[in-house]
Amino acid sequence: MKELDVSHYIYREPRFDDIMCDLKALPVLPKAMVKEAQWAIAYARKFNEEVIHPQCLSLDRKMHENPDYLPWDFIKAANEWGFYTLFIPKAIGGWGINGFVSPFVNEEIAAACLSMANLIGVHYLGLITLFSTFNMRIIKEIVGDVKNGEKTGEPCLVSLAITEPGAGTDVEETDLIDKSNVACHAEKVDGGYVVNGSKIFISSGHVSTWHIVICYTDLKKPSENVIALAVKTGTKGFSFGRMEKKMGQKACPASELVFEDCFVPDKYVCLVSDELTDSRLKPVEIHQKLIDYVTSATRVGVGCLGSGVAKAAYDKALKFASETRVGGKLLLNHEWAQCMLAEMYKNWMSARLGYVEGNYANTLYTTQNDVAKKSGYFMNRIMTKWFANRVVSPMMDKPATTRKVRRQHLDGQPLSAQQCASGWASLSKFSGTDLGIKNCQMALQLMGQAGLRHDRGAEKLLRDSKLLQIYEGTNQLNRMNLFKNMIGRGFQQAMDFPE
Amino acid sequence: MLATKEKEFKMLEKAAAEFARKELSPNREENDKYPFGPFWDDIVKKAFDLDFFHVLLPETLEGMGLGMQSFCILLENICEVDASLAGIIFTNSMAQEIILATGGEPVLKSMMDTATDVYGHLFAFPAFANPSEIEPTVTAVPADDGRYELSGPMEYLVLGNIAGNALIPAKIKGKTGYVFFTCDMASDGVEKSEPVLSLGLHACPAVDVRFFRAKADLIGDAGNGKAVFDAVSTRMQCAAAAMAAGIMKGSFKEAFDYSKERFQGGRQIIKWSEVQMILAEMAVQVKIAETVVEQAGRSIDEKQKGWEDGSQAAAIHVCQMACDHTCNGIQILGGVGYMKDYGQEKRFRDAQQIQSLLGLAPMKKIGYIHRKMQRI
Repeated sequence: MKELDVSHYIYREPRFDDIMCDLKALPVLPKAMVKEAQWAIAYARKFNEEVIHPQCLSLDRKMHENPDYLPWDFIKAANEWGFYTLFIPKAIGGWGINGFVSPFVNEEIAAACLSMANLIGVHYLGLITLFSTFNMRIIKEIVGDVKNGEKTGEPCLVSLAITEPGAGTDVEETDLIDKSNVACHAEKVDGGYVVNGSKIFISSGHVSTWHIVICYTDLKKPSENVIALAVKTGTKGFSFGRMEKKMGQKACPASELVFEDCFVPDKYVCLVSDELTDSRLKPVEIHQKLIDYVTSATRVGVGCLGSGVAKAAYDKALKFASETRVGGKLLLNHEWAQCMLAEMYKNWMSARLGYVEGNYANTLYTTQNDVAKKSGYFMNRIMTKWFANRVVSPMMDKPATTRKVRRQHLDGQPLSAQQCASGWASLSKFSGTDLGIKNCQMALQLMGQAGLRHDRGAEKLLRDSKLLQIYEGTNQLNRMNLFKNMIGRGFQQAMDFPE
Repeated sequence: MLATKEKEFKMLEKAAAEFARKELSPNREENDKYPFGPFWDDIVKKAFDLDFFHVLLPETLEGMGLGMQSFCILLENICEVDASLAGIIFTNSMAQEIILATGGEPVLKSMMDTATDVYGHLFAFPAFANPSEIEPTVTAVPADDGRYELSGPMEYLVLGNIAGNALIPAKIKGKTGYVFFTCDMASDGVEKSEPVLSLGLHACPAVDVRFFRAKADLIGDAGNGKAVFDAVSTRMQCAAAAMAAGIMKGSFKEAFDYSKERFQGGRQIIKWSEVQMILAEMAVQVKIAETVVEQAGRSIDEKQKGWEDGSQAAAIHVCQMACDHTCNGIQILGGVGYMKDYGQEKRFRDAQQIQSLLGLAPMKKIGYIHRKMQRI
């Protein structure tokens, strides 16, 4: 078999590297990851049982009654349980549960309540954006605040502010942003930047302490002039606007953030794309890299929320079918119902397989590789407080560290790796969330009247899940991104966003 | 004759559309807050005064005596803006149709004669259940005075907290099958819950009720409940399809209008061909729904052979389409489509809710094929 040279076939589309992420990633991962995943999933289940299940429906009902209510009780409980530092490496003060495991935990929590899963997950969206700027000094400061919030019982959450009233999908694609209506402007002044404009639909905005705000220093060419700023709640010129009245995921506020001559000092400038003169990448490529590092992680994250809700809907339907007699016999014993339940189980598993593969792709091709591969994993496991405080911490303050890490991640990631991770993230996002919605609709069909009642929990799943098809780039944009990264690249004549 | 009918349809369509635009549209978000906001009492009264509750009622009962096509036109136009009112009208009409199908016209007349307000004319009914699928949990026992006493719980009795009377499916102790009873909702032995919070149709309220020896009157013959329900619901499925079609029309209109206003990547989103593809699919679905409902309504009114198939197929197909359609209706608007400021999220919820009118959606398909099998 080995004598026959077929090696060139492996480079044909579909590329081996694209469709075998799992096979390639498994040898990279340490065996101990299994135990870590088991522990983390079990911990999430305990959290679901003790914290989420008792209040999930009552909190949603309360939000129906008073849409301006802020769910501090839940946030404090999640903080107390360590969920806001759970996936932060030990070296910078977190619990050190590996990022590779986080999608599985998110899925578990999402299966109990999407809203509450988002109240945890969105914090990591903010953190991942911050991490993707590789500004080690600011990472250290903000993570320090989060850690301190856990100690004091006063939660310190981080949000990402990117969407604007005039630009939604646009802001996630450098090919589109120059034609968009972005208006959040950061003007360079002595000692910092002055920000004007507003951001909308900012998940957890009202309950976050730090906001990673994406602005543009030149609104005529935003693709080449992106700037990421860290703005703390209470900063002069920064205020909260309205809280959106959403159909679902009610417990997680979607906020408007308003900036009126808001001065942000240089020390809170996380990244300016056109000032990274030592990078071989052009500013627009750095901008796209920032977007892709963030969305490769967060779109897999949304895919796992889709999988979680697909499971939850399947569970509700199965329970109903096993308890309810229809036409004189148990619904569970109608052939058609068995087939529907099997279809729902398949939908859940398909959603799951999508995000799991996306997670493997991230393990191979993004910053997740640093902590998931054996060396990074064990370094994190054996990390002592002394070493973190005495060695890692002072290093993070040094500009040279930031430069080195940026060089490694901005210049070091090949385009093919960026494409594979981004493509899989989009695939897992839109397939997982479409399947999540499908299962919610099937559960309501199967349950009929019972499914429509708020107190049975099934209708909430449908309301909550619809948002998954919209945020982190609409599913339509994600389909185009998949085409761009994993399909169109094989055709020279193919154009990105051709119209 | 045909011209008269057409004129009649046009007039009803105009009245319903104007009512929806003037009365329902301005306060759609506010009205949908129920049960955490006030009930839209004035709207229900205005709709009643405009005879929207009397379309199917025979003229002998001071109704309009119109057919299913007219009823569908009314519901479709209302649902284009806000389906909750159509839910109220549908529920009340379903109950009245069952009473009329059992020869209960005198009973209906006497109740109407004694009604002192709008709600005295209305009937509560478990419109989202098919008692032949999931057995009624209320039991009837003959009382000494020739009436019956109802006992047991009933979930999700639509209009249970506003209607003066209810039509309740119940089993008679010691007998097989079920039968319908009318019951005064203000009588002793009727305990109502707070309004049930539901997925959609918020302003078409429902409550859980517990009967404890509540006095009730038998409608029809003992044990014939299934036959009556099947006959009436087969006809009324067409009306459910009309509601779904109306929601789809509203959803398409809002999506189409928004796509011309919103810019993405420097141009109106309607100029993106993927958006055009979604809108095209929605437009085709609306056209199909309109055609299917119109044809089904006509076949019912003209008692065409196989009208039952048309009515049931319309409900099965159009209600399913509406669920997918309204999901896309939100998608076109993106984030704002998910917010209460626009009508799309409500349409998405309402469409899903309407799919469960008159029982489980999959069982409607099974019922459809069963009837075909019986004919072989």
